[in-house]
Amino acid sequence: MVFDPNSPDTSRPVAVLTPDGIGVGAIVNRHRPLFALLLVVTAQILLLSLQIIRNHHVRLIRYWAVQAFDPFERSLGGLINVSSTAYKSYRHLWTAEQENQELRLQLVAAQAQVQRLGQEAGEAEHLRTLLGFKNQLGFQTVSAEVIASSPGENSNAIFIDKGSDSGLTNDLAVIIPEGVVGKIVAIFPHSAQVLLVTDSSSGVGVSLAQSGVQGILKGGSNNFCDLHYVMNDEAVNRGDQVVTSGLDQVYPKGLPVGTVVNVGNGNIYKTINVKPSVDLNRLEMVLVVLKPAAAEQQAMNGAR
Amino acid sequence: MPVTTHRPIAVFKIHPAILSVAALAALLLQTLLPLKLPVARLMDFPLLILIYFALMRRDRMFGIGLGTGLGLLQDTLTHGYIGIFGIAKAITGYLAASASTRFELESLVTRTVLTGVFVLVHNLCLYGLQHVLLEAPPPFQPIATASAVMMNVALGLILFQILDRFRRPA
Repeated sequence: MVFDPNSPDTSRPVAVLTPDGIGVGAIVNRHRPLFALLLVVTAQILLLSLQIIRNHHVRLIRYWAVQAFDPFERSLGGLINVSSTAYKSYRHLWTAEQENQELRLQLVAAQAQVQRLGQEAGEAEHLRTLLGFKNQLGFQTVSAEVIASSPGENSNAIFIDKGSDSGLTNDLAVIIPEGVVGKIVAIFPHSAQVLLVTDSSSGVGVSLAQSGVQGILKGGSNNFCDLHYVMNDEAVNRGDQVVTSGLDQVYPKGLPVGTVVNVGNGNIYKTINVKPSVDLNRLEMVLVVLKPAAAEQQAMNGAR
Repeated sequence: MPVTTHRPIAVFKIHPAILSVAALAALLLQTLLPLKLPVARLMDFPLLILIYFALMRRDRMFGIGLGTGLGLLQDTLTHGYIGIFGIAKAITGYLAASASTRFELESLVTRTVLTGVFVLVHNLCLYGLQHVLLEAPPPFQPIATASAVMMNVALGLILFQILDRFRRPA
């Protein structure tokens, strides 16, 4: 019998010598972890192939995972909010104590009050802006709160706290007053996954506000987007505003998307970089644009 | 007569409940922290949990199993194909457990270097898989990759100190 001196389990032989040498079974037994790794990787490659053949339809697995994680995400999200608020309050208190020890208690109370009022005023202002924007839109919307982001450095997606229970469906546009955020790509009873415009797999039908030139906006690198399919002979300048064209049947026409920051000529089409008009790293509240059928469903839910 | 040699190798046990809580917390932090701290997108909490437990248990089958489990769960919470993180983390778990028998893991320098190497291996696996399998793979960004390695190494050193408190000799 042969023992592996590097193995923590030195009591178990790694190979059995037969008169003919080392048998196949012994080789498999000796390299069991390697075979297990190959098996696991092969199985997952088959799973990936299945998804590619079925055009990304693995809804059941994702549904279970999101349903299982949803309560934890909400609870921990709430806990983080409370901790964050508590930490900020503590920091302000400490600063006030350093600045003026004599008026410490008075200053602490005043700062806490100012902070609370400031926070409330900020929230009220933000909600007023959102409400004003919502009222001036020519279509029905549902407001939703961002509850989580999608894990992974290259995964530009977020989760919102409204789902099919609120009448939402796939392919609904998600916007804020500053511009387009993305569209819903997965829907669950109490939440939905939103693919951001900066994701490489997203596509938005857009046009330039100044010239009316049309193209497709796709996610690029470093949180920027690229404008595709604009011919070299079209006039495009830095600073041009990019708005939705409405041709993709997802985003209503005329919503701001971003600003052209870089233009260059390619073989046939221009190379155009666009900076999104929305700071996608700091989303809190968003509006989901309902399609006419979804708007009726939402109205019925509201009536109940 | 066969000759067996013994080298003192410390193998540690971690209670399954601790492992479960750590894995769940890592996945939750991975989804929630980037909302409050955009730079946290570079961090990979499930990967650090995988590296630590694979190194401590020194068991390649365990490394493969934990890597696959964590990776697939991470995959289900993204909008991409399920299996990308699963494969990358299974390979990383296997390599971490394999390397653990050859190094003295109580040394801070060893831990730092191994964590950096495995984060880099994981990210290169991800990049490779995305380029082979996806229609529109993300571009390779060396600076972002280097930042991710450094950030995860720094985070790992803190996290490993915390997790060390819960381990017991096997």
